[in-house]
Amino acid sequence: MGKSSSKKKKDKVILPPQLPPEVDDDDVVVSDEDVEFFRGNEGHARALATLDRKSIDSYVTRVAHHDEDEVERLYEERERRRKAVEALRPKNHDDDDFEVDRVDALPVKTLQGELVYNNAKKARFDDSSNNVESKSEDKVGNSKQTIQKGERKEKSKSKKGDGKLQNVQAQTEASNGKLQSKVLEEVKEELSAEELFEKKKAQLAEIGMSMLEDPESHIRSLNDMLNICNDKDQKVVKLSLMSLLAVFRDIIPSYRIRQLTEKELTVEVSKDVKKMRYYEYTLLRSYKAYLQKLISLEKQPNFSALAVRCMCTLLDTAPHFNFRESILASVARNLSSPDDAVRKMCCETIRSLFVDEGKHRGEATVEAVRLIADHVKLNDCQLHPDSIEVFLSLRFDDDLGKDDTEEEKGKPKKNKRRQNQEVPKQLPVSDNKKAKQELISKAREEVDAELRSVSFTLDPKERRRIQKEALSALFETYFRILKHSMSISNSRGKVINVSPDGSHPLLAPCLEGLGKFSHLIDLDFMGELVACLKKLSGYTDHHSGTVHDNTLSVSERLQCCIVAFKVWRSNLEALNVDLQDFFVQLFNLILEYRPDRDRGEVLADALKTLLWEGKQQDMIRAAAFIKRLATFALSFGSAEAMAALITLKHLLQKNSKCRNMLENDSGGGSLSCLVAKYDPEAKDPYLSGALASVLWELSLLQKHYDSSVSSMASNILSMANLNPTQNPVPISNASPLEAYRDLSMERKLSKPANKLLPLNCRKKRRGKEFVALSPAALEGSDCVAGGDELKEKLKNHFAVLRGISENERLRAELNHTLSSINLYKEYKKQKKSRKSKAVKKKVSRA
Amino acid sequence: MRALDEKETKMVFEKLFKFTGPNLKHLLERPAVEGPDPQAGRYCLRLHKNRVYYASEALVRRATAVARPRLAGVGTPIGKFTHGGAFHLTVHALDLLAAHARRRVWLKPDTERSFLFGNSVPKSSLARITENTKANDGVVVMSMADVPLGFGIAARSAQDCRKADTNAVVVLHQSDAGEYLRREEELM
Repeated sequence: MGKSSSKKKKDKVILPPQLPPEVDDDDVVVSDEDVEFFRGNEGHARALATLDRKSIDSYVTRVAHHDEDEVERLYEERERRRKAVEALRPKNHDDDDFEVDRVDALPVKTLQGELVYNNAKKARFDDSSNNVESKSEDKVGNSKQTIQKGERKEKSKSKKGDGKLQNVQAQTEASNGKLQSKVLEEVKEELSAEELFEKKKAQLAEIGMSMLEDPESHIRSLNDMLNICNDKDQKVVKLSLMSLLAVFRDIIPSYRIRQLTEKELTVEVSKDVKKMRYYEYTLLRSYKAYLQKLISLEKQPNFSALAVRCMCTLLDTAPHFNFRESILASVARNLSSPDDAVRKMCCETIRSLFVDEGKHRGEATVEAVRLIADHVKLNDCQLHPDSIEVFLSLRFDDDLGKDDTEEEKGKPKKNKRRQNQEVPKQLPVSDNKKAKQELISKAREEVDAELRSVSFTLDPKERRRIQKEALSALFETYFRILKHSMSISNSRGKVINVSPDGSHPLLAPCLEGLGKFSHLIDLDFMGELVACLKKLSGYTDHHSGTVHDNTLSVSERLQCCIVAFKVWRSNLEALNVDLQDFFVQLFNLILEYRPDRDRGEVLADALKTLLWEGKQQDMIRAAAFIKRLATFALSFGSAEAMAALITLKHLLQKNSKCRNMLENDSGGGSLSCLVAKYDPEAKDPYLSGALASVLWELSLLQKHYDSSVSSMASNILSMANLNPTQNPVPISNASPLEAYRDLSMERKLSKPANKLLPLNCRKKRRGKEFVALSPAALEGSDCVAGGDELKEKLKNHFAVLRGISENERLRAELNHTLSSINLYKEYKKQKKSRKSKAVKKKVSRA
Repeated sequence: MRALDEKETKMVFEKLFKFTGPNLKHLLERPAVEGPDPQAGRYCLRLHKNRVYYASEALVRRATAVARPRLAGVGTPIGKFTHGGAFHLTVHALDLLAAHARRRVWLKPDTERSFLFGNSVPKSSLARITENTKANDGVVVMSMADVPLGFGIAARSAQDCRKADTNAVVVLHQSDAGEYLRREEELM
């Protein structure tokens, strides 16, 4: 206290003579402080009064005696002031710490308790952050503590009056601290979830990396990953499943682990072997747990897609490994899943399984086919078609059927050789030699067995056996579908289905598969198969007028015919069979075809398969088809017409006697075969009497609006002028199916041309807008003239308008009458044409 | 000439059904194209001198004007009754059967002559056979040019033909077009 007051007095004495303006500032400052002090403490005021007198006297004397010393002191004081100013700035920067330190400096215990609370908060915050961050913060904390200690010493010297101010500030800080603590707690809760997620992410990554580096020594950590799968958070579960998938994909060995027998367990083994066995055991156990987890999660909607994806990937990468059956079972079950993504995933997986048999040597293929067959059986053939289309990716050796016959032929020869060899051996052989030979044979057998077990490639016999099993399961499925569709069609009777494909979703891929694998069907099943297809196609022996009870659509029945012919053609060498009934069915289905309801491609394919590609044709039957196809061409669009005409031309080329139908002579002589009249609605091609008719439709088709159809028709008509041995110049070598597709594509191209029409309408509308402008222009021009002229012009204008409106009315009436007259004329023409048609019919009847 | 009684009609229809199956209905109900009547009538069966004739109604009505001993025949003869009472189809019925047959067999060109001489059909000469032909079905034998040659009984089904030996009989001969020459007197 004394020192500070003495310093102030020196300033007063020295400064007035040199710096008069500064005196005012100093006085103001001192006066304020002194006033406060005097008010607060009266006792201190008295002491100050006494001290002031002594100091004033001493300083006055010094100033008078030492002029040089005074000058030096002035410079020193100035420097001290500058230092003080510089010192204040860092204090301002350290205000936060300064405040905290003030709280610490307080002697009150309660305040100290609060300080302790603040320190605790910071510590918690440090702990919550990452390790690296925590280290850095610790360093910062240490530096802060050092600063705090220094400042405390300075504060001890300060005045007591400052303490009161500090108390007030401390209270405000305490309240702020409480609010901050709440906010921090909330932030911690939010951060904790993300931090946990990232922690587990890092943990999974670490375990995965360690597994990949050295799987044998870290095999136990798989259990840790499996435990993470049981977390509550869905994201964590998904991540863990995906990471486990990646690990298993890399760890799983290229061989199948088998259980150890009791003998093997009892035998003492080296450390390396024990280690390997422990590794395999642990791997299998965790793999099993993982699969069980996937299968359980598959039922939950949130995880089903992910679980199925994991199983598909495992099956694709490791089809040879253990627990393949359970994966296949779940994947086969999901082939008919309502979810499109899941179903496609499963289909692609199984297709790749069928195509790449090198990994599993065909065993997985048999299991997959059997599982799908069982699945079809359980669901009573009501599955999504994709589940059966998968079979089209199967591949079988073409020699599958031939090798058996060769083996059978070889067997009797071998038997004969053995008998011949055995007889002479028995006579000279002695007991010792027999024993030696037995030992030798046993040794050879053992060696062969070891070679087979070691060799990776399959024996051709095993491969054939596996393919036969797959083939039998495949055909079992197909036949079950056929019989199911037959039974349903019989039971439902005349019920009409709104959606024709709804009741038999698997029939189309089944027929397609039969067509593809027809060359592998055993001859014994051929008759049954053809009988089933015949019933499905709607053929009946009784040509009565009753409607068929079959619920299949026309397209499906045509597919039955196509499959029957493919089966027949693939066994052409063994069969000399004529599928007459299917020709009859096709003959009838042509009349039932409707473009909008049925698929034209299927009909074109049927024409191609049965008539265009067929080598054996009956003349009478060919004639019947020729006549019916010509009528068909008149009734439908250009695509169907083109397909029909190509087939018709092909039939005429092959059956030269049928060309009599191109001539305008009715009857046909002996060729008419007792049927003298043509029956267009006949149900048997042999009884339709087509040879007694004439192909008059072709003359109409020559004028068809489609140039390709007209050119084809004229080309066919030119055959009448040729010799039977000659053939017309071929316009196109395309099959009926290709022609149909080309023309159907042209239809699509012609559609955009129609879009141009509305543009023309728009142009017309724009023209109308111009007409609307003219009266405005007229009105504008009239305004310029005077009153009288205006009246005259307006009169003329309105008179003209009246005339125009009257003309419009009259023209409308005139057009109306003209249109009515034209309609009446057309009506008369129609009557005349009808009468002429009736007359023609009578003539034809006679 | 008289109409067939119930027993005779049954025997004739059984024979015809063996070859034509459901087409038998068409055979009897198709409109007649023979005879001078303006309206087409139907065909009917008549018995005359142990032979069964298939003729249109117009012909039958006009044939009644001829005395029985002087009448040689009416329409197409399709078969005859034996003294024992059995009915046999004759070669005259070939055109009718060929038009309405449900089962057909096609012969190879080089073996047609053997069949026309009255021999049965071995598998080696079989070119095509209608699918789902069963044993004991009536079969019309055709040439590759679709000309009917005769008819017979299938000894084996279409499936069994595939497994049979090359010399096994496939179709038992009953009648062939060669009989017009070999049995001229009897047929007249």
